[in-house]
Amino acid sequence: MKVKKGQILKELAEAVVNGDEVKAELLAKNALEEGIQPYDAITNGLAEGMKVVGEKYERKEYFLPDMLLSADAMDAGLNILIKKIPKSERKAKGKIVLGVVEGDIHDIGKNIVKVMLTAAGYEVLDLGRDVATSKFIKKAKDEGAQVIAMSTLMTPTLMSMKDVEDQLREEGLKDKVKTIIGGGSVSEEWQMRIGSDAYGKNAVEAVDKVKRLVDSIMAAVEVMKKEKKNSE
Amino acid sequence: MTRNKIEVVFQPYGKREQILPGNTIMEASKIIGIGLNTLCGGKGTCGKCKVKVQKGAEGLNPCTEMELKHLSEEEVNENTRLACQTILMRSSIIFVPLRSRVGIQRLQTEGLEVPVKPNPLVKKYYVRMPPPTLHDPRSDEDRLLDSLNDQYSLSDLTINFNVAKSYPIILRKAKWDVTAVVWKNEIIAVEPNDTVKRCFGFAMDIGSTKLAGFLMNLTTGEVVSVGARMNPQIPLGEDIMSRISYAMMNGWDGQKELQTAVINGVNEIIEECCEKADVKPEEIYELNFVGNTAMQLLFLGLWSRYVALSPYTPVLRRGVDVNAAKLGLRAHLNANAHYVPVIGGFVGADNVAVILASKMLESDEIIMAIDIGTNTEIDLGNKDLIMADSCASGPAFEGMEIKFGMRAASGSIEKISINPETLDVYYQTIENTPPVGICGSGLVDAAAELFKSSLIDIKGTFSPEMTKKSKRLRRGQEGWEFVVAWKGETKIKTDIVLTQGDIRELQKAKAAIHAGAEILMKRMDITENDISKLVIAGAFGNYIDPENARTIGMYPDIPLEKIDFVGNLAGTGARMSLISREMREYTEKISRTVKYLELAIDKNFQDEYLKSFYFPHADLNKYPITVELLRRIGRVL
Repeated sequence: MKVKKGQILKELAEAVVNGDEVKAELLAKNALEEGIQPYDAITNGLAEGMKVVGEKYERKEYFLPDMLLSADAMDAGLNILIKKIPKSERKAKGKIVLGVVEGDIHDIGKNIVKVMLTAAGYEVLDLGRDVATSKFIKKAKDEGAQVIAMSTLMTPTLMSMKDVEDQLREEGLKDKVKTIIGGGSVSEEWQMRIGSDAYGKNAVEAVDKVKRLVDSIMAAVEVMKKEKKNSE
Repeated sequence: MTRNKIEVVFQPYGKREQILPGNTIMEASKIIGIGLNTLCGGKGTCGKCKVKVQKGAEGLNPCTEMELKHLSEEEVNENTRLACQTILMRSSIIFVPLRSRVGIQRLQTEGLEVPVKPNPLVKKYYVRMPPPTLHDPRSDEDRLLDSLNDQYSLSDLTINFNVAKSYPIILRKAKWDVTAVVWKNEIIAVEPNDTVKRCFGFAMDIGSTKLAGFLMNLTTGEVVSVGARMNPQIPLGEDIMSRISYAMMNGWDGQKELQTAVINGVNEIIEECCEKADVKPEEIYELNFVGNTAMQLLFLGLWSRYVALSPYTPVLRRGVDVNAAKLGLRAHLNANAHYVPVIGGFVGADNVAVILASKMLESDEIIMAIDIGTNTEIDLGNKDLIMADSCASGPAFEGMEIKFGMRAASGSIEKISINPETLDVYYQTIENTPPVGICGSGLVDAAAELFKSSLIDIKGTFSPEMTKKSKRLRRGQEGWEFVVAWKGETKIKTDIVLTQGDIRELQKAKAAIHAGAEILMKRMDITENDISKLVIAGAFGNYIDPENARTIGMYPDIPLEKIDFVGNLAGTGARMSLISREMREYTEKISRTVKYLELAIDKNFQDEYLKSFYFPHADLNKYPITVELLRRIGRVL
């Protein structure tokens, strides 16, 4: 049984790496039949595969089409498994508001980031493209999101990122909501200039940095809770 | 308080200049007049402006984050810096290595000659009048207009107010023996005696990278001389979007700066063309311009912001007539400057000119035209319907984002072939000098040859098992790379390699173009077999190997005999609509009738784009000719 379980998890990961949608779905069903916990199959199967995909992408051995094929395989497996997790137990690592900024409609990169973040266990609130500044902020406030992730391919729309940044500051939300930016025309320099909290060079790096942002916010919340308790 | 100037010397040129401290090396190079590569427009992202600070390094700002990304530890230690990131505070000596110098650019200006019967909007009429007497005291105006009507049956003419200021004197000095210059129905000049034979116009393609101008004899329709320059806006932003960002950040001042830069460039070409042909700029009576929609705004000094933001609306669609002198153009005081109409935000007057010159809108047969540039426009159809779209193919073909990439200039590798059995590499450089880098056509060749010889697979990924067969394939700092030229052969004394990342950039570019073509075909229900002619325009297009470009899937799988390489077709269209009134009017029809398709909202775009990343395509059934070719050389897919 243990051997079989290990085998299935390994094959699940491989299906994601190979971008094999059909196999991923089949193996997800197999896993459930074999009594593997859905959460286990996700983290130690699918997500492990996505990690390998990320590494291959970093080394430029994988490229956009591979990423999206793997993403589709991941999605197929995820759809089977997630239904078996009771709603009350579905707990995301954090909430991320994601979108292409106002004035731009190029969203392939954003779509990849979305998949990678979902694979990593975050709840992604995808606002799509050409997203108004106020919409980013309202969504983050309404949903209590930890991070706003913004993307743009074009240079002229870089300014829209600054608008979101400025608006957050104006509303005094910078402690509660962190930002990460990325996309073709975006650079670390631009991140510094507008005072965003992180820059993701690619989807893999974006996930990594989002994790750090979410963790830092969670830690700050913990500290605040403790302080409140102590003062009581 | 005045600051003491510092002395900056650029080597190996030996040029020196006293300048104020606080300028970047890039800015100093501009003051001194040295051409440094600045593909990213000085943002520190392209890393193409490396220089070595030989003296004065102790007074510089520390390396910026951007610099540390581009410089090796060794380079940092020997004071190699990015010119755009380094601020000079004291006297310095800067050495510019070969790779950072702007080479002699290969500027392709020619395009097809499409015969058009000249019928210019400007015409000259030699006219003699009886002098006024007390018995015939008609106004100068009536005297001139009556005579023109008598001799040439020209009625309804008017006199330009500027002419009214000067012509009474000219008429008398010339003893009532003059030439009237008429634009449409307006007399824009009165010249002494017979000047009919000297009637010139100027046509120009304003590319974001390159300006190509043609001095034309308006009477005969012939090209008198040609000239070309790099677009002087480049230092303010490498691509058109960066330039609009520059304008957005600097407001009207930025707009003005961009406008002045391009007008100055145009004027230099006008002067060059005039000098070559012994023509005075004052003998140019009309100018005709094509360029993309954003360039139209920058050139005319109109607000450029909105064309860069979704939904990318143009300010003006119709053709524009404006007084040339008002724009600061070197031509006759009353000359008209015309900017050809545009189609949409990303399909501009240059594309209207391409459609005009390719005669698509008169054709029974289906034609596809691809005008390759940083932005590539694609047109498909015939006299019944033409649709156009535009895709961001990016600057890879200009050498940007490519590790050893460069523009097509002296020393760039422009042709590559690989023996599929021995894996020996052969290459050719422009002007046959030792290689400095790889230009667009070399990049296309390299990818195709690597693919044909199994060094990269159908996904564009290097095959590590091939290291057994060739020591050129190796692991570099950034993953797998292939040595195109060993350092002993090169002028820059390092191996010139093609990295996995370079192949990825090329894949993005070619996938965008192919997806753009594919979506038009799908939308219009046209297959490869229906296309009777594929027209490849653009300066870069002329130097690429048509078969290799097809092998990597840059355009649809169409027999080579149906593919025409036509060079600067936009320039051809600009000339046609300068010398012919009918062609001018026809551009308005093209602008009105061609249907613009926005790729980004097409639901199939992402799918088609990703399928097009493969060499030649994810669906090999779409590439029967190429598959057969690969089979012939024993390439197993």
